[in-house]
Amino acid sequence: MAALPKRIVKETERLSKEPVPGISAVPHDDNLRYFDVTIDGPSQSPYEGGLFRLELFLPDDYPMTPPKVRFLTKIYHPNIDRLGRICLDVLKSNWSPALQIRTILLSIQALLGAPNPDDPLANDVAQAWKEDQSKAIETAKQWTAQHAARPTA
Amino acid sequence: MVRDVLPEATEEIAEKTDLYVTYHSDARHLVRLMQCPQCSKPFSTPVTLPCGHSVCRSCLPASKPRANISYPNTPDRLIGVACPLPQCGAEHAAAECNVDVTLTKLMELLKYDISKHRPSAEDSPMLLEEVLRDAIDSPMEEKDLVLVVQPRSRVLHGGRLVSTFAMVELGELRYSSELKYQSLSASGDDYYDLDVAILERLRDVVHKELDCLVCYNMMLDPTTTSCGHTFCRRCLARVMDHSSACPVCRRDLHIPASLQNKGSNTLLNSLLAALCPDLVTARKRAVEAEEQVGNEDMNMPLFVCTLALPTMPTFLHVFEPRYRLMMRRCMEGDRLFGMVMYNKTSAPQGDLGPTQFLEYGTLLEIVNYELLRDGRSFVETRGVGRFRIRAHGMLDGYNVGRIERVEDLSLSEEGSLEQTETTAAQEVAEEFSRDYPDAPLPTPVTLNLHSTQELLDNCMEFIREMRQASAPWLSARIVQVYGEPPEDPATFPYWFASVLPIAEEEKYALLRTTRVRERLKIVYSWISRIRGQRWPSGSSCSIL
Repeated sequence: MAALPKRIVKETERLSKEPVPGISAVPHDDNLRYFDVTIDGPSQSPYEGGLFRLELFLPDDYPMTPPKVRFLTKIYHPNIDRLGRICLDVLKSNWSPALQIRTILLSIQALLGAPNPDDPLANDVAQAWKEDQSKAIETAKQWTAQHAARPTA
Repeated sequence: MVRDVLPEATEEIAEKTDLYVTYHSDARHLVRLMQCPQCSKPFSTPVTLPCGHSVCRSCLPASKPRANISYPNTPDRLIGVACPLPQCGAEHAAAECNVDVTLTKLMELLKYDISKHRPSAEDSPMLLEEVLRDAIDSPMEEKDLVLVVQPRSRVLHGGRLVSTFAMVELGELRYSSELKYQSLSASGDDYYDLDVAILERLRDVVHKELDCLVCYNMMLDPTTTSCGHTFCRRCLARVMDHSSACPVCRRDLHIPASLQNKGSNTLLNSLLAALCPDLVTARKRAVEAEEQVGNEDMNMPLFVCTLALPTMPTFLHVFEPRYRLMMRRCMEGDRLFGMVMYNKTSAPQGDLGPTQFLEYGTLLEIVNYELLRDGRSFVETRGVGRFRIRAHGMLDGYNVGRIERVEDLSLSEEGSLEQTETTAAQEVAEEFSRDYPDAPLPTPVTLNLHSTQELLDNCMEFIREMRQASAPWLSARIVQVYGEPPEDPATFPYWFASVLPIAEEEKYALLRTTRVRERLKIVYSWISRIRGQRWPSGSSCSIL
């Protein structure tokens, strides 16, 4: 295997030295391109109080191609499907090598704060969201409490 | 001037000290790199032009409409700016003359740092005398004008660099002029230490500020886009393999991935070379090592695509970003890469296990490389040998491997093999016809009875027959591409496999062979099969 590019080394260093509030990303010891990620549900969103686990993988031609990110924690969100896949432009066509792990995770956190049912990935959730928003938000809160509960100390 | 170099000084310190001496003695050169060639003042919001040179935005001549330009068809390209630099003289599209974001910020920082080093007390007097260069090399008609211009001189403080810059800020030092320094210090001090202090700062600012947003390293050969954003040249080229948009502002850039005709940023390159030559060298070395792959043996790029055969041409249309990069690197290097087929059945490949590709492949040499504007390319290659993959890995998205060449046995071994095989077959045949006088010989025996030359003659005969029957797959066009069948039994099978429309997986068997005779026998068996069955007339050739 080729050595880990300097860029990935630097990004990893900065992520641990200057962490983003409410976000953590830690690489696996045996695969430095694979990160365990957690994101705090943003305040004043249905995901508030939840701790969401994600996996993030940097492909071989990163940063030319975007990182692959997926929710591991179940989440009720119109832009995130049952398998945890995320519908976010910067993870697909709007990726740019000037973005980085940090900015991508911030975008995902922002997506939690601003669900967009008009560009859905989970059709049923988006439908429910459009038909009865307050009920959908209630469901999202329930799911958060049920699946994204913080481990109690 | 006497300097104390400690005997135990490391090489690095020695290099740095060299740098300081150079810029102490040639402060003029360094300051010129912060000076607009147009107005001779320190750069203010510089624009880097498509030719790679920079001037202040306010120094750009007024734009003029350009006639007869319709590609790319955007209104801002219909306006042109005549390049103010005599070295260039071209007309640039106004759309491509944008503020150089990196250079603008760098110049602000450099200016700020120099101003901080400006002495508070006027205690380091130095006489700076301008030496006009124009008087020597400008054309005749200008000379008279220049003669009227008197060289200026001033007494300034703060060491050579700071005082030279101060003179530039005052607008009293022409871009082309040289300077003569004369210290007016009572003790004869020429303020070397002052220069060292400021140089250390400038060096720091330059290398910290020139950090590429793509690779997070110090920029190597910085190149500026038309929208004013700067990256390492190689990083920008790689980005262009994947997208035509600027990574920072997403503006569409009309440049091919090869960055052909795209000048690097002259000024940033000069600044790096002037202030951080050691870091530039280190960075160059690191990049070379990176592109070499972590493991030095794993040096063969692998194109996983199709069957290619030795001595035969293979034509490729390269569109995947990772292969665009690979082709570019091949073109910069020895023009060689390995072609391997997909392992469609995921069969285990020797020691490699069930890899994505088959373990035997063909070494291809690029004969012709035609780069299309959008970064795709047409590549004409010729097979130069066969190999087996012993280890493999990834480099920037494509496969690389350590390969072992597959060669034929020596001619003497080939000869003795033919001898043993045909003699043994003769004995078997005699025995067989004694026992079963009416039965035909089994196929393997017939095959082994033929001498290598007979096998080839047989194959050639088949080709002649097919030509007479004008087999659709043996059209003139095919012969034009692959040439006439070679008379060398070693290469004939490759030619035959190239033109014969049978499954590639069958042809793959040729790549593993180490004997000429073995290859001919494979071909012979194909021919026997074709002769034994009616060739379906509908399967016209689709090799190309």
